[in-house]
Amino acid sequence: MEKNSIKPPVEVRYADELELLAKYDTGKRPENWKLSPKAVRTFILGGKVKTDDGNVEIPKKFYGNDALVERCIITLAGNRGLMLVGEPGTAKTMLSELLSAGCCGISTNTVQGTAGTTEDMIKYSWNYALLLAKGACREALVPSPLLVGMEKGIFTRFEEITRTPAEIQDSLISVMSDQILIIPELADDGIILAKSGFNIIGTANTRDKGVNEMSGALKRRFNFETVEPVKDVRLEKEIIVREAQNLAKAGNIDMPVDTDVAELLAVTYHELREGITEKGTLIDKPTAVMSTAEAVSVYYQTISHAWYYGDGKIDLGVMTESLLGAVCKENKDDLEKLKAYFRTVVKEKGKGNGLWKKYSETAKLLK
Amino acid sequence: MEKIFRDSKITEMIPYDLTGKVLFFPVRHHSPVCSYQLIRTIREYQPEIILIEGPENADGLIPVLTDENTKLPVAIYYYYKDLKKLVSEDGTDYKCYYPFLYSSPEYNALKQAGIMGIPAKFIDLPYCDILINTTGQKGLRKNTDKHSYADDSRLIYSKFYEKICENTNVRNFEEFWEKYFEIAGLYLTPENFVRQMHTYCIITRSETPPEDMLTDGTTSRESHMAKRITEAMKIYNKILVVTGGFHSKGLYDLINTKKIKSPKLHRISAKQHGCYPMAYSYESADALHGYASGMSYPAFYDSVINKLLEKNSPENVYNDLTFDLLVQTAKHTNKKDIPVSISDVTSAKSLMDGLSALRNSRQSGMYELYDAITSTFIKGEKTISSAQPLDILRKLATCKEVGYIGDKTHVPPLITDFEEQAKKLRLKITDVTRNNIELSIFQKPKDIEKSRFFHRMNFLDTGFAYMKNGRDFNNNTGKSLVREIWNYARTPETDSSLIDHTTDGFTIEEACTTVAVRRLRDSMRCETSAGIAVDCFLMGIPLTKSETELIDIILTNDGDFFSVGKGLRKFETLNSLQQLYKFSDNTSLEYIRKCFEKLIISLPSMVSVSSERAEEVISVLKTMYGIAGNILPEELSVFTETLDVMAQADIKEPSVYGAVSGLLYAINSSRRTDVENAMSGYLNGTTEIKKQGADFLKGLFSTARDIILSDDSFLKMTDTLITGMEYSDFMEILPSMRLAFSYFAPAEIQDTAKAVAGLHDVTAYNVMNRMIVDEDMFVFGSQFDADILEKLDIDL
Repeated sequence: MEKNSIKPPVEVRYADELELLAKYDTGKRPENWKLSPKAVRTFILGGKVKTDDGNVEIPKKFYGNDALVERCIITLAGNRGLMLVGEPGTAKTMLSELLSAGCCGISTNTVQGTAGTTEDMIKYSWNYALLLAKGACREALVPSPLLVGMEKGIFTRFEEITRTPAEIQDSLISVMSDQILIIPELADDGIILAKSGFNIIGTANTRDKGVNEMSGALKRRFNFETVEPVKDVRLEKEIIVREAQNLAKAGNIDMPVDTDVAELLAVTYHELREGITEKGTLIDKPTAVMSTAEAVSVYYQTISHAWYYGDGKIDLGVMTESLLGAVCKENKDDLEKLKAYFRTVVKEKGKGNGLWKKYSETAKLLK
Repeated sequence: MEKIFRDSKITEMIPYDLTGKVLFFPVRHHSPVCSYQLIRTIREYQPEIILIEGPENADGLIPVLTDENTKLPVAIYYYYKDLKKLVSEDGTDYKCYYPFLYSSPEYNALKQAGIMGIPAKFIDLPYCDILINTTGQKGLRKNTDKHSYADDSRLIYSKFYEKICENTNVRNFEEFWEKYFEIAGLYLTPENFVRQMHTYCIITRSETPPEDMLTDGTTSRESHMAKRITEAMKIYNKILVVTGGFHSKGLYDLINTKKIKSPKLHRISAKQHGCYPMAYSYESADALHGYASGMSYPAFYDSVINKLLEKNSPENVYNDLTFDLLVQTAKHTNKKDIPVSISDVTSAKSLMDGLSALRNSRQSGMYELYDAITSTFIKGEKTISSAQPLDILRKLATCKEVGYIGDKTHVPPLITDFEEQAKKLRLKITDVTRNNIELSIFQKPKDIEKSRFFHRMNFLDTGFAYMKNGRDFNNNTGKSLVREIWNYARTPETDSSLIDHTTDGFTIEEACTTVAVRRLRDSMRCETSAGIAVDCFLMGIPLTKSETELIDIILTNDGDFFSVGKGLRKFETLNSLQQLYKFSDNTSLEYIRKCFEKLIISLPSMVSVSSERAEEVISVLKTMYGIAGNILPEELSVFTETLDVMAQADIKEPSVYGAVSGLLYAINSSRRTDVENAMSGYLNGTTEIKKQGADFLKGLFSTARDIILSDDSFLKMTDTLITGMEYSDFMEILPSMRLAFSYFAPAEIQDTAKAVAGLHDVTAYNVMNRMIVDEDMFVFGSQFDADILEKLDIDL
């Protein structure tokens, strides 16, 4: 797979790290896993790997809750699926990709859940030309990612599972209980037994409208992990810087990341999301999702503008306008809340800091 | 664990020499691994004496703590009354707890000493001297609700711990401690364990500025402890010193450098300081409940030490206990209608095992259990409501049990009396769970006893019980209630409050009597003395001769009309109570008479009281009228005469005047004309006088609301008052008018409304069904009408 695609899969992006970890991995591996649980942990949470040439540092890729990652890894080594739930933009998908790439070496075996997802998209469908020509046979079968996962002993990622109608979601129950999928049309050849290493990672967001509740029976087949927004501003800033760098690199924007601006944005997002300032003043929370992913997007838009129109200089006005677009999407009251934030908190901070002062001067763009 | 502490030179500073004269054993309070390794060390070292960190004035309580009938958790309760102002100019009282659990190394050291037949002593400064040597807002003088002597917060909240959590990938200090000390430490030899403890503690100590240790009393305490160790060295050849790990280095240096400047001990009388053993609870010992120096999940860690001592081996101790707790949590979660299947439990168990392997921990501890329950029992997003299984886990691991002092020799008699009475009344006091109890006080004699017991405990401010529902005699509410619902729970605060009252008597009844007399002396107000008399009645404690004498003096000397007025109401309540319970005592009647007579004298001047206090005067008038018409009929004529004097005064507060007029009408209905004349006076006055008419009505209706119901003349006058006013003036009197009509029953208000509607030729139906006009629109319309009329007048 091309490494210079817009967003290369995790296993391509971190191929060197995965190779290194596999080479020096001395831990016990669950059957069919590419790495031991300890090495997967190092891959996701960072750490040192002892190599022949000394210690090699593996950077941390998921911030906020190390224990959650550990629980995810151990869950996936067991007989239950893993369901990552939480607000949008909390890196659930990224975590599921990292887990899949770390454990199975592949993160692209994915079902994308939508309101239009049907049972055959989850289980299997047919190449009708071949079906008509040769009848029901293995050749005519179009395996779904679930079937692929079962046959190869790898993870199947089910994105946005709760967007799928409840009765379609339930088609996973028998597969997860019995680890078997029957294809009646193939008679004796139609019994597909899941190979060791197969498991399902689901993601579901708890905030958006139009999601379907999961049945109790399906819930019982999963261990749930709630991925929460990053609580630490320092970490949020690190994430913004790192992700903006990656996006800039992918977009051929050769511009260093301004960490002060990233911090300013991280503080803004953090305070608006939590509804409380650093000094403990309560503020109105916008109803919009104030995720770190959104903050990264706002920052990327700002540096893109600087790169293409601004001679490489970041314009805080552009950032404020991008912030406005990100915050004021659904609820008209959010604009007033954002204005109030600038009028009080940003203005106050602007009294002592040059960058915050410039930032407060952009408040007039909020309309 | 060795990898965490890279500076191995530190460990050479305090040797672990089994042949040495002194062996320092560092501990964290309530740590099972410290207890386990301490017991092993005692067996290896075979000391001749064990010296333990603890205020030495509690030495006499050691046999109580180790008594075979004592059930932990218990605590030593220290108190000091700073009457000589040696601590500060405030001269306040101080108290603190020294809790002991089965997992406490100090307890195990005492117990082992008992088994071996060797002496064990506390070696710290007496509590009062610790306070005297501590600067304000430091150490045991910090402003907190609960003071614990066993404070190892320095060990927990150092900057070092933050770095260590980051480097070891743990969430917090407690997880670090469990993983690297509680579990890993079990597999070390005592020598290696002690070395690890010393290393950790010396690093945290090195981060503490010496001036901090000086101000929080550490320096003085360590000097005193070192002095006691030196003294012991002259007598014994093998001394085991068990102290908080933070102090080991300080003590070791002092002993070796021999530069001990021990602080001077103060001679404090036994009445001003002391200590008692008391039952304690796991909940209070839990770090999660604000006990900063405790460990989280104390009951769980108590089960760990018990299991370790039972098996005499660390193998699978944590694995077994966390699995037991997992099953218990599943069971209790199911009881809350949150389904947890066997498959969930199995999955949780495998998750625990997997996590401990991933985290390089030899056994699954509380944090693996917590993680496993988070993943497997919480179905869906983790929120406050969905995280109930974790709450259940916390409750089970903390436990609500309360300890028991087996040897009653040193237990304050008040606590013994409390326990005996609770047992007699069958009240649950073995744990800190709050209980509800409904008492039929007029039907069951036992329930009256219980009610009295709760009232007594309340009177002593023990926080043991509070009345959720029932008649409040002091505030005169809930008169129709014949049952009382109480909520009660025994907590360590209950015991400590009782200990605070130790000097007040041997029984709760005695203590209540002493406190009642003290409060009477302190207050010297009629209102308070009447309240205390009511309290004494509710507590079932007859007033003593000294109390009645004191009340007599207070009644004679109290010149505050309002205090006497409130006192009169409370004495009236007391009188009604005595009648209700068929009580032979009639002292209340005498008090009522005294109050009444006192009030009569100053009553005339009250007619011109300020409007802010008018309500209170009216309340007194109503009480006096009730008494004159019922309890003291012979006083009715004097009361009527006084009211007449008030009515004829030149300056009158309108609402008081209204109330007086109402009472005169109530006593003699032929005086209706006087009231009508008074009202007419207000109606025919200036606008300002008219406005006072509303206050007059308020007072009048508060004492004689039937005046408006018997005849429509007052209704018409009220109507004239309202309709004859400008809008802005009406808005001004509206609050008073609302209050005036609040004295009527709903049916009376309805009848009055019908009568008012009749005056304007409308019916209730017309009023209810006409179009609703916005208030602003109405004002605009009225103004518009007025303008048009004005124009028409001009044109005409």
